[in-house]
Amino acid sequence: MQTIRTITAIAVAKLLICLSRILGNQGTAFPGRIARKIDPHILQKLAGNVKEEMYIITGTNGKTTTTNMIARILEEKGYSFVHNRAGANMITGITTAFIKESDIFGKRSFEYALLETDEANVPLLLKELTPRVVLITNFFRDQLDRYGELDSTIGLIKDAVRDTDIELVLNADDPLVVHFHNDTGLHCWYFGFEPTDYDVWEDDESREGRFCSFCAAELQYERFHYAQLGKFYCSNCGSHNPRRNFTGHNLRMTPEIRFMVNDLEISSPYLGFYNAYNILAAVSVAKLVGIQDDVVQKAIASYQPRAGRMEQFMIGDKKAIQVLVKNPTGLNQTLATLNTDVSSKALFFALNDNHGDGRDVSWIWDAQVEAISCTDSGVKSITCSGLRSGDAALRFKYAGFDEEIIEVESDLEAGIKACLNNEAEVYYFLCTYTTLFPSGKILSRLARKSQGRKQPGHVRRKLTVRGE
Amino acid sequence: MSKIAQFRIAHLYPRLMNLYGDRGNLICIQKRLQWYGHDCIIEPINLHESLDYSAYDMLFMGGGSAQEQRLASKDWLRQADDLWAELEKGLPALCICGAFQFLGSYYEAADSQKLKGLGFFDLYTIYEPDRLIGNIVIASQLTEETTTVVGFENHSGRTYLHDDTLQPFGTVLEGFGNNGQDGQEGLRYKNLIGTYLHGPLLPKNPVVADFFIHAMAERQGITISGTLNDRLEDFAHRQTKQRILND
Ligand SMILES: [Zn+2]
Repeated sequence: MQTIRTITAIAVAKLLICLSRILGNQGTAFPGRIARKIDPHILQKLAGNVKEEMYIITGTNGKTTTTNMIARILEEKGYSFVHNRAGANMITGITTAFIKESDIFGKRSFEYALLETDEANVPLLLKELTPRVVLITNFFRDQLDRYGELDSTIGLIKDAVRDTDIELVLNADDPLVVHFHNDTGLHCWYFGFEPTDYDVWEDDESREGRFCSFCAAELQYERFHYAQLGKFYCSNCGSHNPRRNFTGHNLRMTPEIRFMVNDLEISSPYLGFYNAYNILAAVSVAKLVGIQDDVVQKAIASYQPRAGRMEQFMIGDKKAIQVLVKNPTGLNQTLATLNTDVSSKALFFALNDNHGDGRDVSWIWDAQVEAISCTDSGVKSITCSGLRSGDAALRFKYAGFDEEIIEVESDLEAGIKACLNNEAEVYYFLCTYTTLFPSGKILSRLARKSQGRKQPGHVRRKLTVRGE
Repeated sequence: MSKIAQFRIAHLYPRLMNLYGDRGNLICIQKRLQWYGHDCIIEPINLHESLDYSAYDMLFMGGGSAQEQRLASKDWLRQADDLWAELEKGLPALCICGAFQFLGSYYEAADSQKLKGLGFFDLYTIYEPDRLIGNIVIASQLTEETTTVVGFENHSGRTYLHDDTLQPFGTVLEGFGNNGQDGQEGLRYKNLIGTYLHGPLLPKNPVVADFFIHAMAERQGITISGTLNDRLEDFAHRQTKQRILND
C-alpha cells in the first residue's frame, strides 16, 4: 500500500510530464525533481516494482546508444521495462522515467529497468536502488569541469559499488577500468575485440589512460582499436588486458558493421568503431539477461540511428545532417565520418558553454580538427554559432582553415540560415548539447516550410512518439 | 623581407601534463610564427630525457592529474639549475596549472604530504578539496598598456606568492585567481609566465601570444615585422569577456 504522500508525488509529476509535453518542452528532469521533494523515497519505492533485474549503463561515451540497443532487444523479446530515454540520465530524470511508466497508485510492475546514468550520478543512484549489473562502456575525458578530474569520478564509482553483490560489465580494452576487479572484488564480465583490420600501431592524440592503473608506469600498446582502447600491457608490473567473456572478432566496417560476438553473428546499419563497441556491450548484456541469439540478431539489425546522432532533414533540395558533439572523442568521430563523405560540405558548429554543455569549452582543442583541414576534405564553408562562436571559429582557423571561409553568426537561427546559403552538396550541423534541440527545431521548421503543406509536421510527430 | 627564422619549442611531458586543451597554446604560437613568415617546430620531451635548455626558444608545460603531476615534478627537478640559468637569460616559458605550481617551493597535497618544487620563487601551493572552477578575466601589465586576459580556471591548489616583490601575471577582475583571496593571478618573471588560465590561453589572447613571439625573436636577435589579422581572435576575446562580466 502506497502512502498518500507517494500518490501525491506521482500525481503531481504525471501532471507536470503532461504539461511539459503540451508545451513541447524536452526537459524530463523537472517532474522527477518535484516528485522527489514531495516524497524523497519515491524512486526507492517504484524501483521495488521491477520484478526481474535492473541494469545501470554508464561511462563516458556510447551509453545512450548502448542503452537504446539493449532496450530494442528487450522490446523484441516482448519484456516490459522502465527506460529513461532521451538522455535524461541524472537521478531526477530516472525518477521521471519510473513515474511515467507507473500507474497513479505506483503499483504497475515491470520485468526490467534499463537506466542510462551519468557517471557522477551512479553513487547517488546506488543509494536508492540495487541493480544486478553496472555496465561501464569506457572512460574518456568529458565535461571535466563538472567533476574535477576523471580519477575522482572513477574513485567515486568504485566506492559506490564496493561491498555489494553487483556484477560489473567492463571494457577489457580500456586500461582505465581494469583495476575495478582488484579494487572492488566484484564479479566482472569483460567484453573486447580481438585484433581487427582497422587497428593502428601509432599513438594517436588521446590523452587518458595510457598509464598503468596499478603502478602508474607508462603502458605499452601492441595495437590500438580506437583511441586508448586496445591491447596493452605494463612492462613494470605486468598488468594487461583482462580475459574476455564476450569477444568481438572478424570485424567488417563497410558497408555496415558486421562481426562475431563469440559464435553469434551480428550486423547493424551503424557506422564507426565506437559503435561496434556499443553493439558489443549491448550484446554482452543481452547474453547476461539470457536472451536468445536470433532475437538479439534481429533487434540489432533493425536498430536505426536516432535523433541527434546523425539525423537527416531535407530543406528544399538541400540535404542537412544534424549531429550531437559533446566531447573531443565525439567530435573526432564526427570528423572521421565527415571525411568518409566525398561530397562538398558546408559545416555549421554551434558551441554553447551552459551547464549541460560543460562550462569549459577548451575540449574543442583536444579534438583533431586538423584531420579535416586538408584541401581534399571537401569543406567549403564553416559557420560558427552559439554563445562561444568565437572559440569555435578560432579552433577552425588554427586548425589551418582559410579565414575567408569561416563566418561567425552567434544567433542559432541566423547561423543556420547563413550556413544553408552557402554552396554545398551536404550541410552538416554539429551541435553541443544545449544547442541540439533549438537547432533541431529550426531545421525541422525550415524542412516543413520547404515542403509546403504536403506532410505537415510529419518528422516532428514521429519523433515525439518515439521519445515517450 | 627578412629571412626566415627557425624556432624550437620544448613541450615538456606532453603525455603526462596535457589537460584542458592546453596544447592549443602550442598550435597558436606555431601558426602565428608561420603567419609572420617564420618556421617553428615543437619537440615533445618525455620522462627521463635530458635536454639542453639553451638550444630552445621557448618552453611549455601544462597541467596533469595528481598522479601524473607527481611523476613529472620528480623528473623536472633533475635539471633545475640549467633551467634557472636560461630563465634568467630570458628564456620564454609558459607554465600552466601544475607546471606553475612546480615553480615554487612546495605543493602540499591532499594527504598533507609536501611535494618539493623547483624552488625558483618564494611561492607555495596548498590543496583544498573544493575546486576553483569557472571563467576568469584578469588585467595584466604584460605590455606597457594594461590588457585584459580571459580564460577558464579549474584548480584545487591555492597558490600564495610569499614574497611581496614577486609580480603576478595579472589582477583578477572576475574569477578566483591564485587562491580566491588576494586578487592575484599567476606569476610573471622576465619572459616566464606561470598561470592557472587555460581554455587554452593564447588563441583568445593574441597579446600574450605575441609577447612570447617577440621574446623568442629577441632571444635569436631578430625582430618580427608586420601585424596579423586578429579579427576572429579579438571577437572571441570580447565575446568571452562579455559572457563573464555579464554572467
Ligand atoms: Zn603497472
